[in-house]
Amino acid sequence: MTDNQSFIQVKNLFFTYPDGTKALEEINLSVTVGEFIALIGQNGSGKTTLSKCLNGLYKPTSGDVIVDGLNSRTTPIVQMVRRVGYVFQNPDHQLFNNNCWDEIAYGPRNIQLSEEEVKIRVEEATQVVGLPQIYFEEHPFFLSKGLRQRVAIASILALRPQVIIVDEPTTGQDARQSFEIMDFLKDLNEQHGHTIMIITHDMPIVAQYARRVIAMGQGKILADGPTGEVFAHPEVLERTFLEPPQITQLAQGAMELGFQPGTLTVEEMLRQFEALH
Amino acid sequence: MNKTLLGYVPTRSPIYAIHPFVKLFFMLIVSLFPMFVAAPEWNMALMLAILLLMWISRVDVRTLRIYVPVAISMGSIIVISYIIMGGNHPEFQLITRFLGIKIYWERIRDAVVVYFRILPMIFTMVFFLTTSRERDLIVAMRSVRVPFVVTYVFAMALRSAGMVIEDFQIVRQAEQARGFDTTGKSLGYRIRKYVMYMIPLFALSLRRAEEFTNALVARGYAFTGEASRVKRADYVLTHYSFKYYDAIFTALIGLTFIVLLILRYGFGYFSIERSWLLNWLKDVLT
Amino acid sequence: MTLAIEIEDYSWQYLNTPKPALNHINLQVEEGTFLGVIGPNGSGKTSLAYSIDGLIPGQYNGIKHGQVKVFGKEVEAYDRGQLQRIVGVVFSDPEAQFTAMTVEDELVFGMENLGMSIPEIRERLEWVTELTGVGHLLLKPPYEISGGQKQRVALAAVLAMTPQVLILDEPTSMLDPVSRRRVFDVLARLKSEQRNTIIVIEHSLENLVPLASRMLMLSDGELTLEGETREFFQNMDLLVAQGIHPPGAMRFYYELKKSGQYPGSLPITLPEASQELKGLVARTRRP
Repeated sequence: MTDNQSFIQVKNLFFTYPDGTKALEEINLSVTVGEFIALIGQNGSGKTTLSKCLNGLYKPTSGDVIVDGLNSRTTPIVQMVRRVGYVFQNPDHQLFNNNCWDEIAYGPRNIQLSEEEVKIRVEEATQVVGLPQIYFEEHPFFLSKGLRQRVAIASILALRPQVIIVDEPTTGQDARQSFEIMDFLKDLNEQHGHTIMIITHDMPIVAQYARRVIAMGQGKILADGPTGEVFAHPEVLERTFLEPPQITQLAQGAMELGFQPGTLTVEEMLRQFEALH
Repeated sequence: MNKTLLGYVPTRSPIYAIHPFVKLFFMLIVSLFPMFVAAPEWNMALMLAILLLMWISRVDVRTLRIYVPVAISMGSIIVISYIIMGGNHPEFQLITRFLGIKIYWERIRDAVVVYFRILPMIFTMVFFLTTSRERDLIVAMRSVRVPFVVTYVFAMALRSAGMVIEDFQIVRQAEQARGFDTTGKSLGYRIRKYVMYMIPLFALSLRRAEEFTNALVARGYAFTGEASRVKRADYVLTHYSFKYYDAIFTALIGLTFIVLLILRYGFGYFSIERSWLLNWLKDVLT
Repeated sequence: MTLAIEIEDYSWQYLNTPKPALNHINLQVEEGTFLGVIGPNGSGKTSLAYSIDGLIPGQYNGIKHGQVKVFGKEVEAYDRGQLQRIVGVVFSDPEAQFTAMTVEDELVFGMENLGMSIPEIRERLEWVTELTGVGHLLLKPPYEISGGQKQRVALAAVLAMTPQVLILDEPTSMLDPVSRRRVFDVLARLKSEQRNTIIVIEHSLENLVPLASRMLMLSDGELTLEGETREFFQNMDLLVAQGIHPPGAMRFYYELKKSGQYPGSLPITLPEASQELKGLVARTRRP
């Protein structure tokens, strides 16, 4: 992976909050276009802080964050958010326009696009998230949680960022909703070419969707690699107080029978079982 | 470090030994002193006394530095307003003329008196807020039998304020993440746009209000009826006992106030005429 | 055995909604049961929890049919504040249910509401802080403790009121896995030490299943399945059709069962699954 293939490069990043808390230490990583990454770690491990450094909301205390050739320290945030979008966990933190259409148009208007361009962007975004037209004039406050989340994502998509960071996409959702949102993100990744990064501690979801896992603990990166490889080493995950999904644990408990420690899904487990006889 | 309403106090500080009621009493009574004292030098002395108390309580006096610009601008505004709009009396002494405005001694004198009345009142407030934790306020109120509903609403207001501030920061970041940028824009624009923030904050508070009420009801809190008249044990008061020195301090504060009133109304102390500082200032300017 | 909860043909429809949130629910819960409640979002789980605690119809407007009885008495027949001594609820948002300025005040609030005396409060406080492990947090304000700690405080605050029925509505949905595990550890201790009837609504089946003696599923306001835990999970087809996503190990065996390679009853915990796997591989392996 050479430098000019990376969309995001983080070099020796340190971040300390104004009150003195050290949130990030010596972070080095690079992200290429088209990846699907899960950023995992215990609460307080620094994962939210890191992702906010990636889109310019936070400026590094020392070190550099370079996105698409732009250094986050010297680039106005308006430029950064066109490249890295951040969807907050609770859609209520960002919905304030009177109707969904204006809500989604808010981003493009902020970056001074013409009204025709804004219109194109909004229509595109609503189509991608599957927001039916009847909701365009509705006030976001009165929509269901699922719809509000879609409006929130659409409002980020309208900025057409290459990278989309989603904070806790499945927290508080039931199984069906979780899969819906994750399939949607997978679609964005595979059909539309976006780089997706999810911040989560939902390990089965990570196992099923993320191709790369970055595990953080105490402000440092503890592991960074393909999902199967990271999960095959539960002792690393333990350091950030996480454990692999149940199916992986089942496989790891049966290694002497021939199962792989990096098993991620039930399907993989079944295939291995078939192969045993 | 323990977080107080307006700053931090180190874990070891004499101020914790004082019953919260005494702190509240101090603030309420002492902030009345300047109302009866016109002579600025006395009010300045009061300010110094309070600074001394803050230092004894080991409050980090550096936190007061943020108030200096405020104090200076406030002082300037007061002087200027009085000069331009102060009272009028044919016996006022004219000092000089500046840009066509007549500057009278009496107006400057009044400005100085008012300024040094306000300052110690603010200081007393700040002293109280920097040495009291939220719990102290509640305890102070409960110990004088303020009705539970009042103290509880107060506590919830403090709690909500904290949550709203947290929400505000997240909302701000969420807007920035969508390209919201106020650099280089006019003040009017900024104000208009900041009003936007209210909407998510309201939405969040509304959603939380329902859960909050449910939590209260589920904890057996009854707003009306038989259950609401139950005698509350006020467990928190068991941590605070009113000691002999608390009684002494309370008496001292009250006594000082009475002495002040006697001196003021009985013997004419602290008046403008007998203020050597004002007299000196008058000599200098005229 | 006493019936802690008896729900007879109960329906509830919130005002201004097109259909009932709960439809003809019939349920009997014996005292001392640990009941797990699952179902998709919007299926009525929270409404059911609130109905048992009297929050419905007390705090909400709507139409009620049928009866909800706690220890033989209809929920609406209790005086204000009386039912809350018997039924305690822990909600899902740790932030919104922390109503006091310090942890200790939070724990003591409920007890004061009940009119308990200072010595009684002191004793309960000690018990409850030891059980939930929040002793070192007593003087801390809410903004200095984590979400997981807040939930344990909420649990302690409710337990301090010694409710006979304890309902937890998605208590760990906003918590990370470690905090989640710690809350369930407290529940496990409660289960073994006390006689409370415990009802837990959860999405995280991995933690819930080992503890629950009975399970219940709601879909679209209706009670679609109820029974002793092991039997409950043998109905996988139905569960999956309703959108339940069982834990990985259970699903593995379910798939094997569907393809005819596994005849036994589905193991419901990881240790069981591991144990079963060894035997299964040994039996089916080519010699």
